This record gives sequence, C-alpha cells and structure tokens, in this order.
Amino acid sequence: MNLIEAKHVTKTYTIGDRQIPVLDNISLSVTNGEFLVVEGSSGSGKTTLLCLLSGLDRPTSGRVLIEEKDITETPEDDLAPLRNQMIGFVFQSFHLVPSLTAIENVMFPAELKHDPRAHQKAQVLLKRVGLATRIDNFPHQLSGGEMQRVAMCRALINDPKIIFADEPTGNLDSENGEAILELLLEFHRERHSTLVLVTHNNKIATMADRMIILHDGRIVETIRHDYQHIA
Amino acid sequence: MMVASWKLYAMIISTLHRHFILRQIIRSKRQATVFVMCVSLSIVSLIALNGFSTSVHTSLLKDARALHAADIIIRSNYDLSPAITDRVEQLEQDGIVASARVYEFYSVVRTEKNRDSVLAKLKVVDKGYPFYGQIVLQSDKKFKDVLTPGSIIVSQTLLDRLQLKVGDQLHVGQALLTIEDIIMQEPDQPVNFFFLGPRIFISTDDLDRLDLVKKGSRVRYACLLKVRDEKQINPIVQQLNAVADRDFVYINTFRSAESGVKRFFDNFLFFLSLIGIFTLLLAGIGIQSTLTAFLKEKEKTIAILKTVGATSKFFTRHFILILSLLGLMGTMLGIFLGFVLQHVLHVLFKGLLPPNVELVISLAAVIEGLCLGVLVVGLFSFLPLHRLKDIKPITILRKESIRSKKNLPYLMTASVIFLSFIGMVLWQLREVKTGVYFIVGVTMLILISAIASEMLLFLLKKLKLKPLVIRQALRGLFRPRNATKPIIITLTTSLTVIFSIYLIEQNLDATYIQSYPPAAPNFFFIDIQPSQLKEFSQSLGQKAEYYPIVRAKIAAINGKKINRQSQRQRRGDNLARTFNLTYRNHLLKDEVIIKGKNLFREDWHDLQVSVLDKVMEIKKMAIGDRIRFKIQGIPLEARISSIRTRTRESIQPYFYFVFPEKALQDAPQTVFTAVRVEKHRRSELQTELVKKFPNVSAIDVTETLSIFARVLEKLSLIIRFFTLFSIIAGILIIISSILATRFARIQEAVYYKILGAKAVFVLKVFTLENLFLGMVSAGLALLLSQIGSWIICSAILEIAYTPFLLNCFFLILATVILIVTIGLLPSSSILRQKPVLFLREQTQE
Repeated sequence: MNLIEAKHVTKTYTIGDRQIPVLDNISLSVTNGEFLVVEGSSGSGKTTLLCLLSGLDRPTSGRVLIEEKDITETPEDDLAPLRNQMIGFVFQSFHLVPSLTAIENVMFPAELKHDPRAHQKAQVLLKRVGLATRIDNFPHQLSGGEMQRVAMCRALINDPKIIFADEPTGNLDSENGEAILELLLEFHRERHSTLVLVTHNNKIATMADRMIILHDGRIVETIRHDYQHIA
Repeated sequence: MMVASWKLYAMIISTLHRHFILRQIIRSKRQATVFVMCVSLSIVSLIALNGFSTSVHTSLLKDARALHAADIIIRSNYDLSPAITDRVEQLEQDGIVASARVYEFYSVVRTEKNRDSVLAKLKVVDKGYPFYGQIVLQSDKKFKDVLTPGSIIVSQTLLDRLQLKVGDQLHVGQALLTIEDIIMQEPDQPVNFFFLGPRIFISTDDLDRLDLVKKGSRVRYACLLKVRDEKQINPIVQQLNAVADRDFVYINTFRSAESGVKRFFDNFLFFLSLIGIFTLLLAGIGIQSTLTAFLKEKEKTIAILKTVGATSKFFTRHFILILSLLGLMGTMLGIFLGFVLQHVLHVLFKGLLPPNVELVISLAAVIEGLCLGVLVVGLFSFLPLHRLKDIKPITILRKESIRSKKNLPYLMTASVIFLSFIGMVLWQLREVKTGVYFIVGVTMLILISAIASEMLLFLLKKLKLKPLVIRQALRGLFRPRNATKPIIITLTTSLTVIFSIYLIEQNLDATYIQSYPPAAPNFFFIDIQPSQLKEFSQSLGQKAEYYPIVRAKIAAINGKKINRQSQRQRRGDNLARTFNLTYRNHLLKDEVIIKGKNLFREDWHDLQVSVLDKVMEIKKMAIGDRIRFKIQGIPLEARISSIRTRTRESIQPYFYFVFPEKALQDAPQTVFTAVRVEKHRRSELQTELVKKFPNVSAIDVTETLSIFARVLEKLSLIIRFFTLFSIIAGILIIISSILATRFARIQEAVYYKILGAKAVFVLKVFTLENLFLGMVSAGLALLLSQIGSWIICSAILEIAYTPFLLNCFFLILATVILIVTIGLLPSSSILRQKPVLFLREQTQE
C-alpha cells in the first residue's frame, strides 16, 4: 500500500509580479516502511517537495495523499494531529524552540497528545543519543550536533509512521553528520518507519530503497536499491 | 559667524550617510513609531497642563479687574476699622475714588410661609458694585436698576430648591424681600462649585433690616475702590496700608489680589503636573525599552558593517541623528497632542472653569515643549546608545548576547542622567521641597515595584507546572528580548497610583458620605450670640455641647512675627488665616494630651494655651513656647501648656487652640454647637430655629458633604484621566516588546504548529502569557496600593480602612482584559503565519 502519494503536483511561487515554478508535474508514491532519498542541486525543489509531501505546504495544482487521504485541501488545524502523531520532522536548521530545554523540546509533541509518559520517553531517547547529561540545557547552550540529536529525538518521540528529514547534516561537520545519519537509519530500521531523506551524502543514498533526483522541479532520475535506472 | 556655522553644518552633513539613516528608520518603522509615541507621550500631559495653566492664568489676569470688580480691594474678616473707612471717605470726597461696600456671609433663608428653608450665600452690596465686569441677569436688565431696596436677585438653584419664582418673597434674616431677577453670571465669582448654598444679592440699604451681622459673625467684609486715575492706585494702597492693621486687613490692587479660583487652579494644576511628570518618567522607561529593542534589531547590521570597516563613531553619530529625527517627530507630535488635550481638559473642567477662559497656544509653551522633548530624548536615550560601542564584529559569529560593562564611567554617566532628571523635575515643578519629596516617593515606588517584580518573576521561573499551555506561556515571559520587567514595573507603578486614588476616594466616600457615622452630628449651628444661648438651647430641645468661639489671628510665635505672605503661599494649612479659639477646662471625649500633664499647668501664672498637634504640621512648637494672638486688634500672648491630639478622626468639632475658661470669657464671641437631628426633623427644625434666631446659620453637614463629594468625584475623574496616560506608557512597552520579540514569537508559533499544535494552542499560549503579565502587574499594583492607601487612610486621614475587595477584583479584571487585548492585537498576524513561509525564509538565510 502507498503511504504517501503525490499526483501531478506542481508548485509555483509568486514573488512580486514574477511566477517562479519550483515543481513541475511531479507524481510519486512512497510505500510503508520505505527509505527514500531525494537528491538534487540547490534550487531543484527538494525542500519544496518535502514540504508538500508532509502537508506543510499546499501544491498549486495536483494532489497529495497520505494513507489514501487527500491532504491538499485539509484545513491547517485538521493537519495538526497528522503532524503530531504520524509525521516527524528533522530540519537542516534544527528548529528547536529556543525558550525550551532539550528535554522540553523533545517532550513537547508527546505532551500535545497528552502522553503521560512523555518525560520518561524523552529521557530514554536523549540518553540513547548520548545527551543524558544535557537534558536541561537550552538550545543555545548546545553544539550543532547536539541540537540535531535533540531535534531527531523530538521527531521520534511519538513513534511516527513517516520521518521527513531535510538535509539533517547540512549544518554539521562530517563526523557529526555521519553520526546523525546513522542514528536516523537505526531508528528507521528499528521502528520500520518510512523515511524521506533529503541528502547529498552518497554513502547514505546507496543505502536507501530508492533515490530520486530532482532537476529544475522535475524528477529526472529514479534509482532503486538494485541501482536499476528507471528513467 | 554665519559662514563658520554653515561650514560646520556642511562638514557634518558631508560625513553623514543619508541612505543608511533612512534605511535604519524604514526597516524598523514599527519600533520607530513606538519610540516616537513614547517621546510624545512623555511630554503630552505636561504640555497640555502648562498650556492649560497659562490659558487659565491669562484669562484670569486679562480680566483681573472684572475678577475683582475693582481697582483696589480691601478685605477683612472683621468690620473695617474707622481709620480705613475714614480714609476711604476722604478719598471719595476728594473725587479720587468711588467705593462700594460688600458683605458676604452664609445664612438660612425661608420662604414667605415658613414652609421651607435653605442655607444661602448672601452678598450684600452697595449701589456702585461691580465697578468692572458685568452681572448678567436673566431679564437682561441692568444690575443696578434691579437691585433696589426691598428686592433681591437670586440664583436659579435657590428657586428650584425652594420651588419659588421671580416675584415671590423670601425671609432673609428679619426682612421679607422680593425676588426680582435671576443671576446668570457674576464677574468676581466665575465659578461656584465650592459654594455651600445658592447665591442671593441684597442691597446694603437692607443690611440693617436683615439684622444678621452681629458681633463675631462670620462675615467677609470688603470695600471695593474704583480709582479715577490709574497712576494713583499704588499710592492709594500705600496710604491705606499706613492706617490699616495689616494682620486683619488685606489691601490689594486688582493685579496683586489672589482669587480663590486662581489659588484652586494653581494647586490642582500643580498636583496634575506631578502626575504629568510621573507619566514622563514611565514614558522615559518606555523610550529606553523601545530604543534598546530598536538597537537590538540593528546589532547584526552594525556587527557586519564593523567587519567591513565602519567605526563605532560612525554608528554613534548616525544613531544620534536618527534618534534626533525621531525625537523631534515625537516632540512635535507631543506638542500638537498637548494642545489637543488642552481642549479635552476644557471639557473635563466644565463647571469648574471660569466661562471666559480662552485656550491659547503660546510660543513659550511650544519652546518649553521642544526643550522638554530634547531633554527627555537625551536623558533616556543616552544609555542604550552607549551600548553601540560594545558591539564587536565577532558578534555575527557568536551566540551570546552583548553585555554592557557597568564600569565607573558608565555609573558616572548614569548618575549624571539621574541628576539631570532631578533638575528637569525641579524645573517643571519650580518647588524644591515638593520636588524632592516627589522624586523620593516615585523612586521608592519604582524601586519597590522593581524588587517585587524581580522576586515574583524569580518564583514564576522556578515554578514547576504540569499543564503544557501554562508552562509554555510562563516560558514566554522569559523569552530573550522580552521586556517583561520594564512592562511589569511600568504597569505596576502606574496602576498603583490609579488604584490608590480609587481606594482612597472610595474610603473617604464610605466614611463620610455613604455611611455617615450614626452618632455623628449632622447639623452645625454657628454664630449663636451668647445672649441667645439659653433660649436657643430650649428651642433646640435636645442635649448639646456648646462651644464658645473667639476669632483671632496669630501675630507672632516666640516673639517672631508671622510672615503672612509666605504663610499664604503654603499649599496646606497656614498660620496667616483666622483661627477659632475656644475656652474650657476639660478635654473633649476624643482628645488626649500627648505633651504636658494637664490641659493647663497650675504652677504657671501667666496666660496658657493648649495646642492641637495638627498645628505642628504647619510649624513645630513646644511646651513653653509663646504665641501672640490678636483678637480684633487686641494682642493676647499665651504660653503653650500642653499639646493634644484627637484619638479618632470623626465629624466632631475640634479646636486648634484651647484657653482656660477665665481667660477669654469676656472676649467678643459667638457660640457654636453640633447636634444630630433625625432626617424627618431637619427641615422643620432649621426653619423653626432660623425663624426665631435669624442670625444663626444652620449647616446641614450631610448636604455639604454631598456637595464636596460631587466636587471630589469630578476632581478624582480628572486625576484618573491623567494617570491613564502613564498606563499608555506600559501599553507602548508591551507593543514594543512584542515587536522586538516578533521573530521569536513567530518562530515559536511555527514550531508548535509543525510539531502538531493547533492554532488555538498557540493562541492560548499567547493569551496566557499576556494574562500573566496583566495579573502580575495588577496583582502587585493592588498589593502596593492597598498598603499605601491603608497607610494614608489610617495614618494621615485617620479614617477606618476598607479594602473594597470586590471592586478591586473588577479593577484587576478590567486591567487584565486590557493587557490581554493589547498583547494579542499585534500577535494576530503572528498567529496567522504559515509555517512553510517562515521555514523557507530561514532556509534562505
């Protein structure tokens, strides 16, 4: 069964009087438990595709379905439970709430769904990523690698079916980047979640079930895990 | 000189980067707008009050002759001595002056059939009155043609209260007089809000028939003079002063005479200017807070430009110019709004203002406003500007915030600023003592608010709360760049003042108006002649204590003459006024001796006097000090034998000076009594007693108090209106703080949404955050105002204190609703922010 489905999705931004096409007629489906890597040069539309697939943004035309439910026209507030319980996000810029400590950031999505074990779960996750001693630190007191690990724990606390990771290593040095990606894959394997990852890391890309390459808003190449070129 | 100035100007201009200046203002236009508003707010009430005060004074002085109805005014609380009257007569015979006698006093008047009576303010005048100005009558006839012997002119209020009409007759003292016309306007009594009864004009030809002016009666005697040759005014005053006992007679020209109206406005506007300065101070905190937020926004730009070679001087110079431009805009706006506010004041003071007051915009007021604006901007902008030099290029790479070094030069600068602020306050108040008290009081209030808010915020930070929404809201208070502390301090101080005024007013109202003490006397009978005492007591038909009253002035204390001029300039009670002396050998029920053993000492053989401690508030005195009184010109020196105090503040008669019985028994005196009369008997008793004893004035205290309550309410409304401006300072800081933390708030809102929160969750967090702000500020203000009002009520006013908790609940509710609304309005766009737009901007960065 397709967990995520994009049908003829187009996205155009309007800046001033100019219409800038970012995605052009993209059709794509992601199956349950799949690990999909999205690659492409800067400005090719990778982040926009991720935003559309996760319901953070709406396509100009076309449809996006998650578990066969069309989210294209779903009101913002109705998407909230979906984001909270079904999706986990990991961003390049971490996007941690600056006024919350590490553990509070991690707990937050679980608390939103009134999970009484939020604190305990957050503690376990942070311990697992090696941040047991930094749980009460605020984001500005953490290094980039630590912040990304907190962000990853936050994305995983509600055991989401899908994890969207947008260049999670982009702001990190190679050592930290490797560690983060390994952790992400470890969680993916362990929990059988669907992972949609935007990355330039070839080593990781080779480990994906499928890789799509975007260029000027179009999918120019799809590579399956057996390295079979589709188009 | 001109060329040199021009060269200097050209040199400065050439070193400035116009585009940089414009860009900085445009990019932070919201903060710049709040800054401009803070500057205008800081000066608006002072500009309005100064302008309004000038307008009132100009109007009063422009028509000073009409305000006093004469060129020279001779006034006394005693009948004028023959020396004066002879001199005036001589001047009149020589054709130098024209004179008119005026007698003013209260008396109860009755309807023809003795059905109703009312306390009225009588003005018995000679034919020539008024020499200047005009008494406007309803019939439009001339005053001198209407006020003939046997006729009276009354105010509409009197007709309404006694249900009479023009043509009806009225008993005034022993005379039955006909109402001829209705007064519309008096030149020398432009406002009448302090009158205890309606006005009646009577001709002096009827004075003897009234039989109301007796020995010791409370009459204000005046003789108005119109001088043929204006140059003669001052020489005539000198001549009259030469023959007058200046302890009892005041001789003034229309220029030097002080009117009660002017005195009232001087005092009240002075008090309002204190509130104006209070607003200025809070708006100053607003300026500083907004400016800090404005410059914070520029930190990154400054750091980047420093990396490419811009110097600290470059930024200081440019930001001084930016602030000067914004300050000038704020000042101009403040001056404009100040003049608009003058017109609002005109409406607020309706009924208290003389009708001829014209609002003027004087150049002096504009210049004063400009100076004030420059000073305010200079004083409150200096420290935030000082920080510019601490911004280092490395800031763009570092995460930590820049902290200003509080070293010696910094502290010295801060001290100079504080001293300059004190100087500015004194310049505005023009009274050193009050200014110093004011500064100390306000500084204490701000310090207490600051310490209390610091403690409360510390506790809130430590609070471990379960509910997520509440926790997030609390965290919001400590968001970086949030001006939580300045907001709480500003709101707490301004609300403390507003709440205190409200609580004190409510307590006064509750004590004296709403729940008039059940046992307290509600009727005062004054000017009873000693010869009438027995008969009066029988007619009254109830037990009462009678107090003999001897009217006297203080001439000297310990041989040092009283400086009447400086005493009259005092804002509170003064030693230059007439005092009511009494004599008895016992203490009253509510009196105790605090210094000395007994009321009088048996071992002293010279004349003794017991003094009430309230006199010490005017001048410190001690046992053994000698006070020289003058009773109708006759000196009487007494030694202070004891000092008394009152055990409770109540509506019971009390006297500042009590003599032994023997000492004053033969002095010219009247008798006074205060009794409690049930409501249904009041009107009947008043009419009956006044019929028998026309010279006795009956004052219904409850009615008098309700007049004062109305005036108090009006004045309190004006005060609260002005205090509201200080709340605006708090509101501007809230807006500035929201603008300064806009990015952080959007960030929070977006992150919450990405993590699965609904918009209502974000709304709840922001609402609760503002709710906390409002509750902390209003709660602290309530606590401080309860303490302050309790101290004022119990220690100064000496009345029982009620906290009015239910009213306070509504005060807090109103404050919280206001703050939450103000806080949420600028947040509405933040709530609508789409996560993806924010994320895209962040990724692009």
